[in-house]
Formats: sequence, C-alpha cells, structure tokens
Amino acid sequence: MQHTDCALIMGANPAENHPISFRWLTKARENGGKIVSVDPRFTRTSSQADVYAPLRSGTDIAFLGGMINYTLQNNLFHKEYVAAYTNASFIVKGGYDFNDGLFSGYNAEKRAYDKTKWALETTPDGKPVKDPTLQNPRCVFQLMKKHYSRYDIDSVIAVTGTPKEDYLNVCKTFCGTGEVGKSGTIMYAMGTTQHTVGTQNVRSYVILQLLLGNIGIPGGGINAMRGESNVQGSTDFALLYDNLPGYLAAPKTLVPEHATLEGYLKIETPKTGYWSNKPKFVVSLLKAWYGKSATKDNEFGYQFLPKASGNYSHINLFKAMYDGKMDGAFLFGTNPVVGGPNAGKEKEALSKLKWLVAIDLWETETASFWQKEAGNNPSDIQTEVFLLPASASYEKEGSISNSSRWMQYRWKAINSRGEARPDLEVIHELALRLKNLYANSANPADKPFLALDWNFGSGDEVDIDLVAKEINGYDISKGKLMKTFGDLKDDGTTSSGNWIYSGFYPGEGMNLSKRRDSKDTGGENYLNWSFAWPANRRIIYNRASADPSGKPWSEKKAVIHWDALQNKWVGNDVPDFKAVTAPTAPGGTGAFMMNKDGVALLFAPTLNDGPFPEHYEPFESPVPNPFSSQQLNPAAVVIEGDFNKKGDKSQFPIVATNYRVSEHWQSGSMTRNQEWLSELVGHMFVEISEELAAEKGIKNKDQIIVSSARGEVKAYAMVTKRFKPFTIQGKKIHQIGMPWHFGYKGFVTGDTANRLTPHIGDANSFIPEYKAFLCNVRRAD
Amino acid sequence: MSNQKKPVVEVRRFSKAFVLAHAVNAISFLALYITALPMYTDFFNWLYPVLGGPAQARLLHRIFACIFVTPTIIYLIFDAKGFFYWMKELITWKKRDLQFFSEFVKDLFGLKFKHVKQTFFNAGEKVNSILQIICAILIICSGITMWFSQYFPRAVVQWGYFFHNVGFALAIAVVVGHIYLSVIHKNSRPGYSGVVTGKVPAWWAKDHYTEWYEDEVKKGNFPKIPDPKHTKHKGA
Amino acid sequence: MTEYVKYVDVTKCDGCRACMVACKNWNDLPAEQTEFLGSVQSHKKTTADTWNVLQYIEHDNAKGNLEYLFRHSSCFHCTDAACEKVCPEHAISYTKYGTVVVDQDKCVGCGYCVNNCPFEIIALKEYKDKNGKEYRKAHKCTMCTDRLDEGLQPACVTTCHTGAMEFGNKTDMLKKAEQRVNEIKSRFPNANIYNPQGVGGTHTVYVLAERPSVYGLPENPKVPTSAVLWKDYAQPIGKMMLGATTMAVVGAYISNKIFNKEGKGHDEDGGGSHE
Repeated sequence: MQHTDCALIMGANPAENHPISFRWLTKARENGGKIVSVDPRFTRTSSQADVYAPLRSGTDIAFLGGMINYTLQNNLFHKEYVAAYTNASFIVKGGYDFNDGLFSGYNAEKRAYDKTKWALETTPDGKPVKDPTLQNPRCVFQLMKKHYSRYDIDSVIAVTGTPKEDYLNVCKTFCGTGEVGKSGTIMYAMGTTQHTVGTQNVRSYVILQLLLGNIGIPGGGINAMRGESNVQGSTDFALLYDNLPGYLAAPKTLVPEHATLEGYLKIETPKTGYWSNKPKFVVSLLKAWYGKSATKDNEFGYQFLPKASGNYSHINLFKAMYDGKMDGAFLFGTNPVVGGPNAGKEKEALSKLKWLVAIDLWETETASFWQKEAGNNPSDIQTEVFLLPASASYEKEGSISNSSRWMQYRWKAINSRGEARPDLEVIHELALRLKNLYANSANPADKPFLALDWNFGSGDEVDIDLVAKEINGYDISKGKLMKTFGDLKDDGTTSSGNWIYSGFYPGEGMNLSKRRDSKDTGGENYLNWSFAWPANRRIIYNRASADPSGKPWSEKKAVIHWDALQNKWVGNDVPDFKAVTAPTAPGGTGAFMMNKDGVALLFAPTLNDGPFPEHYEPFESPVPNPFSSQQLNPAAVVIEGDFNKKGDKSQFPIVATNYRVSEHWQSGSMTRNQEWLSELVGHMFVEISEELAAEKGIKNKDQIIVSSARGEVKAYAMVTKRFKPFTIQGKKIHQIGMPWHFGYKGFVTGDTANRLTPHIGDANSFIPEYKAFLCNVRRAD
Repeated sequence: MSNQKKPVVEVRRFSKAFVLAHAVNAISFLALYITALPMYTDFFNWLYPVLGGPAQARLLHRIFACIFVTPTIIYLIFDAKGFFYWMKELITWKKRDLQFFSEFVKDLFGLKFKHVKQTFFNAGEKVNSILQIICAILIICSGITMWFSQYFPRAVVQWGYFFHNVGFALAIAVVVGHIYLSVIHKNSRPGYSGVVTGKVPAWWAKDHYTEWYEDEVKKGNFPKIPDPKHTKHKGA
Repeated sequence: MTEYVKYVDVTKCDGCRACMVACKNWNDLPAEQTEFLGSVQSHKKTTADTWNVLQYIEHDNAKGNLEYLFRHSSCFHCTDAACEKVCPEHAISYTKYGTVVVDQDKCVGCGYCVNNCPFEIIALKEYKDKNGKEYRKAHKCTMCTDRLDEGLQPACVTTCHTGAMEFGNKTDMLKKAEQRVNEIKSRFPNANIYNPQGVGGTHTVYVLAERPSVYGLPENPKVPTSAVLWKDYAQPIGKMMLGATTMAVVGAYISNKIFNKEGKGHDEDGGGSHE
C-alpha cells in the first residue's frame, strides 16, 4: 500500500478500524500518494483524506458505476492491459440481455437466474471467441460500456446524494491511476460487503481496477480490510458454510452430480486455468482427513462428507433455529445476540435450542441469553447452556493469516488461567470422545467418525505441529512432507489438509510461517518473513505487472519480468505464473491463471445476480430505484414474516448504518471486559446531523430512541457536523449511524444496535445487510 | 500583677463579648498559622506528622478558618454598641494620633516618652485594628477562592493565592508586634488583663487612655484617681 | 545535557487513542468512569488517572470546509513551569531531560499546581490509606522519565503507529516541526508550531493544523502574574517582614532591659510615665 498513487477507501474506515494499515497509507502520502475517502459519514479516515465524498448507504454500485462510465467515456482505461488480461474482448452469446434492471434468464418465482443465458461464445474446441479490437457490439467491452452508459454523473449523484463537485473530484483523482506507471488501490471492509448487493459491490471494484490496470502491481489491488487478525485464515480454512478448505466447494444434495466423487469433480473442475488441477486438491484433502480409510475404491471417503441439503448461512441457520429445527449449537467465540442481524430475534432463536455450548473468554451476551439481564425469565428458558472458558490468543500457539495471505506463526506468551483451554484442545478432546462413543457402532451414519484419521497426539495432549504438517500434506508413498502443491496428485498418494497452504512446511523442522527475517528482499516484499500462500507469493497476479511481452509496464512498478537469457520469469517476488512459461508460449499472457482462459472477468457469468453489477436499492430504502423498476436485488432471498419484518419509508424515513470504533472490537465481548478500552467509549451513542437534530428537537447528549421495524434502542445522541443530510432525487434524506458493540455484559453496557438490523442477506454470500436499513428517531423523554 | 503590693483599683475596659471574640480570633489565628506553617516554609515540615499529615492539617486549617470568621459575628451579636464604637474609633483620626507614633517608638525601645492623650484606643491600637481587619478580609476572601476553587475563575483563584500570602504575611508581622506589646512589653503589659478579664488597672487606663478615662469619670462610671506619683522617671 | 522534547504532529494523528492506553498500561493507571460528552472524546481533559487525552474537534475552516482535528493532549513540560514555581513543598522539579515531575513523597496535595497550570493539565487524586483516612496527591504525565532513564522512549511515542509523535533532541525536533509546517501550509494555512515562549518554551512541541485557540489552547500561555508576584515577591517579603518584626520586638525587649533597669520601673503604680 505504501507504493500506491491513490487509495480509494470505500465502505471502510481504516484510520479507526484498521489503524495499522493506515500507517502504510501515511507512508504513501509522504511519497505524494493521495487518499480518497467515500463514506456516508465524515470519518477519521476522511479527515486524513485528500478528497472526501459522501454517499448514501447502499448506493455503492451507482457510485462505482459512474466511475466505470467516467473511465470509459474519458478513455482513462489501460487499453493494452484490458485487451490482454481481461475478458473484454470475449464475445457474449445472444442469450444475454439486460432490460429494466433484469438480466436475461430471470425466474421471478424462484428469484433466481438461469446463468446459462449469460454464456460466452466459444469455438468448437472450447476456446473463447474474441475481438481484440473491442469493437464487436457483442463483446464484453461494448456490452459493459453500454451497461454503464446509464450511470452518467447526474443520474449517479441523484441516487447517491454526493455533491457533484466532490463526485467529479473522486473520479478525476482515482481514475487517473489508469495511466501506465501509476497504481491505485481500493480498500474496503464491511461497509461494502454487508449489503444485499455486497458481492456486486466488490465486483464493481474489480471492473474498475481491471480497467485501470491496477491488479497485480505494487500499490494496486483490492484490499479487504479484515475485521480481525485471522479472518483470511478462517476463510482459507472453510469458515464459509459452502466451502471445504482451500476454496473447494462443499458437496450439496441439491446438485445431483455431487452424489459421487466423480460427478463432483467433473462439474466442479474447469477445463482450463489452474483450477483444472482441482481433483488433486480434493483427493489430497480426503486423504488428509480419512487416511487409510480413503481408498480409490471408496471414492477416497467422499461419501463420509456430509452433503448440504440447504443453505447454511448465518441467517438461515438462525431461521432454522427459530423454527425449532435445531437441537443444539456450538458457538466458538461468537456472540450473535450482539453481532447477529435482527439480534432480538436471534436471542429468541437460541431459546429454542435444547442445548448450547458457548466457548469464549468471557460470559458473553449469547452465553447468558437466558439470564434476567437479557430480559428473560430464567425459569422460562429450557435450553441447557454450557460455558467453556477459552484461552486467548496470547495463551496458545498457532498461526494467523493476514489479508496479504501471510501465514504468521505465533508462540504462546502466557499460560491460561483457571480451566481455560485452547480451542484446539477442546476440539481434540471432543473428536476423541466422539470416536470413542461410536467405536462399536454399526450405524452407517456413524461411519465418518470412525473413518476420521485423527492422529494429533494421544489423550488430552494435542500436538499442534502434527496439525500444521497435515495442513501442508505428505507424499504418502515416501512418507515425506509436500514441497509444493504443484506435486499433489489425485491418485491417493499425496495428502494435504489445505492445498493452498501446501509448501509452507516443506521438510522436517521447516515451518516457514515461523520465519522472521525482516530483510527487504526487494520491492518491500520480505520474502523470507513468514510464508504467503500460494507458494510464498506476495503480490498475487503479478504476471499482470508486465506487459504481454514480459516487460514491466513501468520500471517504477516492476515486479517480475521475462528473462529471455535464463528462459524464466524473474523479479523481486515469486511469479504468480508458471515461471518457465514464455510470454510467447501458449497461455503465456494468461496473467490470471486461476481463471478459465487465464483472464480476469469483467463479465462474470458465475454470480447469482448478474454478470455486471447493477444498482438496486437496499431491502429498506427511502426512495424508488431510478435505474430500473427493480427496487431490490432480484436475486436476493427474502424471508417473509415475523422473522424479518420490513419497515416502510413512511414510518421509518431515515437511513441508518452501523460501524465499529477503534476502541471496541466486534460484539465488544473482548473490549467491554477491558477497563482501559471501556472508559474510552463507555456509552452507546447514535451520530446524527445537526439538521436532523434540529428537526427532531434533539440536543447533543440527549437520550434518544432509534426504532426500526424490528425493534428499538436507546442511546445518547451525538450531534455532529460529520453527518449531513443527502439530497436524493431532489428530496432531503437523513442518515444516521451507530456503533454495534454494545450489550448487557461487561464493564460498559448499552443497547444493541443489531436489534434494528434486518434478516436479509446478499444474493451470493448471504452476508446480512447490516449497513443500510430504515429507522426513525425521537427523544427518549 | 502579682508584684502589686496593694489591691489595685480596676475598671472595665472591654465587654465580655469582646473578650470572647478576641480570644476566638487569637486562638484561631494562631491555629491557622500553625496548620499552614509547613506549607509556608520547608523549615516547619516536621509539623506535618505532628498535625496528622497534610490532609489533616488541611482539614484543621479549614475548621479554624470557619472559626476565624466568627469573632466579628460574636462581637456584633453580643455587643453591637461596642463594635460600632470600635469602628467609629478606627475612622476618627486627630493630630494627637500622629504625635502618638513618635512617642510610641521611644516607649517601645524603653526610652523616655510622654503619653499623648488618647481616647479609648490609642493610635497604635487603631493601626493594629485596621491592619488586622484588612488582613482578615484579604485572608478570608482569598481563602474562600482557594477552598472553593472550582466555583471561581482560575485567575481569581490564582490571585487568591497571592492575596492569601500577602494578607497572612502582613497579619503575622502585626500580630508579632501586638503580642509583644501586650504580653511582654512592660509599659503596655498591664493592659493584657483587659483581653482576659475585660478589666484593667485604673491607673494604667488613665495613663494610657486619658481622654476616655476622664470621659467615663464624668459619666460616673469610673472612680476618680490621682495622677500617678512618679512624674519623672525613665520608662516604666 | 541535551534537551529532549516530544514532537507531536497532530496532522499525522488519526485519533486511534493507542497513546492513551499505552500510557495507562505503562504507568499502571486505573480506568475512570467516564460520562458521555457529546463527542467521541472520552475525558474533558487530563486527570490524575488519565495523563493524556485525545481531543476531537469538529472545526469549520476559513473556507467553510469541515476539518476533523485530533490532538494528543498531555503535560507540556514547560521550561518555566508554573506548577514547579507554586509548589510549596518543592515536590515538583525539573529532571535532567527537561521534563517536569512530581515527587509523590513530597506532595501534600495542596492543589496549588492544579490551579496555576496554564494548560490545566495537572490534577489531584484522592486516596484512602489503610485507616480510611483520605489524602491527595497531584499527578500528571511524567514523559515516562522512568523509561527515559532506561534509554526507552515515552510509551505514547513508542505506540504511535502513524509517526505523529517522536521523541528526540530539541534542535532536531524543532527543525522537523518547521519543515512540517512548511509542508502542510497549503492544506492548513494556519498551521503553526506551538512551543509557547511565555513559559520559556515547552518540552512537548506541537505542529498544530489550526490556531491554538481552536484546540482550546491559550494563544499566549505564561506563568500567572499572580504566581510570580506571590512566589518571587510576596512570600520572600513576607518572610522578611516576619523576620523584621521579630527582630524589632527582640530588639525592643533587649533595649528595654538595657534602658529600663530592673526595679526602677517596678513601682507600686507600675509603668506609665510622663514628664
């Protein structure tokens, strides 16, 4: 980030929530880099920015669509990059169409698209049909240009509420990085993703960055600012409900082909691109899990894997819980009574469980949901709750992975107090006991427990080093650790618990995540510090830092280049490319080698809600969508009824969002139990503009009530100049914001903001729409 | 007076109210002085443990501060007449009052001097009274700003420290002289009983406050006594 | 001895408040019950248990644009420190680094320093001893003088991740401040170095984005005139006066003894005389 010429910060507030990232931005600024902050509220990040522009929550696609249009109309895009490294030149089949907010193939009843309608033209041998001149009206570039021509500046700002001058300033500043030799980066966080169009918000960044040639170069990229130190790691290891470790799809009963391993591999494996190696990763994973029980004859234990029969995302899990379809739950370090959407309902849902195991550092609001403080009568709650004390990060060893994909090992600093134990020990003991419990069972449903190859130590003692080695994987026939995922095989002779990490432990005593060599190996890539997956690459897609002929676009932003004498790619980073594939060789310009055809996707026919991001209003919006008659993302799943009440703009005319503060972390269970942090932000507050305060007769420091269709919260009013009313389609629209850290446990307590938020998620990821909903405010007295 | 060979005729000089007020004033002043002394100069830091620590010294200082403001009230309530007479005396200045001082200095150092005819208070006492009143006002007012600093502008509090210091320094200087004259200095020592019992030897009263004494005699309050015998001697 | 200063460039501060926590951590200060102040600011000002406070200021600048200003506020460590001047117990002193520290053993909790600090930084804390007796002590930032002794930097400086704070020798830091002001003049036309000479300069030197008054700082702080008059004149003169009067009465007593020999004045009718 320190190499960037411009950082566009949107849906994130790194100065407050990711302060260390801001250290690098400060460096970038010293080198003349600019910071652009786009946020409904003037934040601490905005105060450090060169350009600030407000936008109404939930209008990111309109905002970015306008920037894409600005780039295209003013010829600011990096033409050669776009033509060579993206699918801009690909011809789209006739089935694709877009009309009044709907892409072709829409089924209104199912609220789903038939994605085959968005297919790309291929030659009989499966190769894409291209028009390198980008002139064909059916090529991606022209379709994109047409799609975003509707996002002219006046239409955009009528939706976002951004002052025109500010908007133009953002466009000029950031879109200027399309110039060769310049790089721009985008930093985002939950302000981008927690929307019904969250995935498409990020897609808009992708399109913009690809147009500007900002992917794969120093100071470029799209940086997800992680909410905690190991979000990247937990995502890599299948935190998401539809993943297996290493971004492999979890098998589902809904997909008939998933019934067998063969079918699964067939449908999940693309013909070209690096993912064509997927069977090797899947079989190696099965070997890691089931060991000797995984044989070629039993599909390497594929049938031991549970097959998902539905959507297991957070909202749906809690819906199932609410409907009484779940018996029990293990909650490891999670506090949905504060952090979940429509938190009042999530608290209710917990009471439908027979048992709940909460594993946390403190007794959280969730662990104590049955208590009087939670507003419950304990004798009415039938749920049996177990609270297991957990060890904090300083009390155990293991690795964390940051958003640069660096896997960094950490050692234990102090012993846990009392009966607190590391999660790994809890899981280990649980696994051993379950295996023991089913030891003599003949029930086929219990087989997976017996087949599970669990060799991480005997008794309660668990050897974390064995876990690390299993993640790396073995060449089983030789009994040696894998050196690289490139050597993984699909014949059952190799194992790897997570193929993307394979190679971090290439030999006995060589856990590379323990490396701490702070010598700059060039380009500030520090290749000998820890390990970055995949294969210790620091800048992913770095092939794109060089032109198709293998020469860096600019010396200033050089990473790797083709050395014709050595006949390989060299530079200050590990090439994210086959190091020996010459630029002129087949696939030699496939800078995005993970993708089919080696190109980045401007047109993405894989997402649930369309190949191009299109603006739709949030679930609750104060205005009609002027871009089309589709108000809400047509592919977003709406849960009707009591579980997710919807507020109307007549009753709730104010837009609301929520956020974090520096001093508190997530649901506050860690920070509200820490006195020094508690004193810094000791009160639940709501930030409102001076204009709204005047309209409602609210003075600074007054107690106010914020209400939504789901509930009410009481808080202090923080009347501030940093929120200003928006003018949307000529109408004045107010927006407010509040932190979501508070609950009824800890040194400081306060009402939970998430009692207000709705139970609706993104069309692809199902992440809840926390960041834009409707409310009203009034004085508490 | 133990060395007096024969009973001395005494006359009432001060009312009981005055005696009480004076005593309260004197004791509280002294107590305030002692409780603040370690703050004033490091030389007296040993007083802190004696007083039970700085916090307790501060508490005592405040208790005595409250007492220190009461004498005026006592005097006013129980002897308003005396109080106003005193006030009147303080603002009545005649030529003889000025003459007093040159003679007073001679007296002070035991030289020959003559009594300048004085009324109830001699000029020296008047100066003492005036200075003490000014100092008391300074000390009390500034003390209030220091005690209740949160209710006053900072500048007022800051000047409060200054005036407390000035008032106190002036007062202590005057008090030293006052005590010397009343307790030690031979010529004025007989008057000491005045602030204890309210009564003083008649001869001394006549000597020192001739005009007042004669007035009282005229009113029939005091006995007529002859002029002292010794018309010529050095001091007394 | 080289003089050291803490250099604070508020324009680089992003208001994360790590300095506040680092300070409490190093100095082992307890948390306080805070009330809601109507902004993100946690404490109105420094207290005996909170030696530095991050200020948050919403300021409309000359162009009418909103500036969100932050300032790490802590003891200035004045070269000419009013607290040191007014302390009756000499509990406050200058260290060899130029920092100003309170000797907790000597402090009697009188609060003179509290009311005379031109920046309203130093504050009293109430304690109870084991007998339940209350006492008070004055506290403020020590500039981590205990860390300086060990060759470390102040805790707040060490923790500052944006480099808004630095600790170094005075000449270098002042030069840096000048450079920085020049750099940011285009963005902050009112940028200035705050190193007030009314208190002889300070050992916390700021680069401010706006006029000092925007941050609630005195434009021209100095040791209060009352304190100068009090400590430099009234008190010495007072002591002299006390001495002089005492000398006068002692002299009077002695001269009385000399001029007025025993017996002579002890006639039955006592003292008074006239010619």
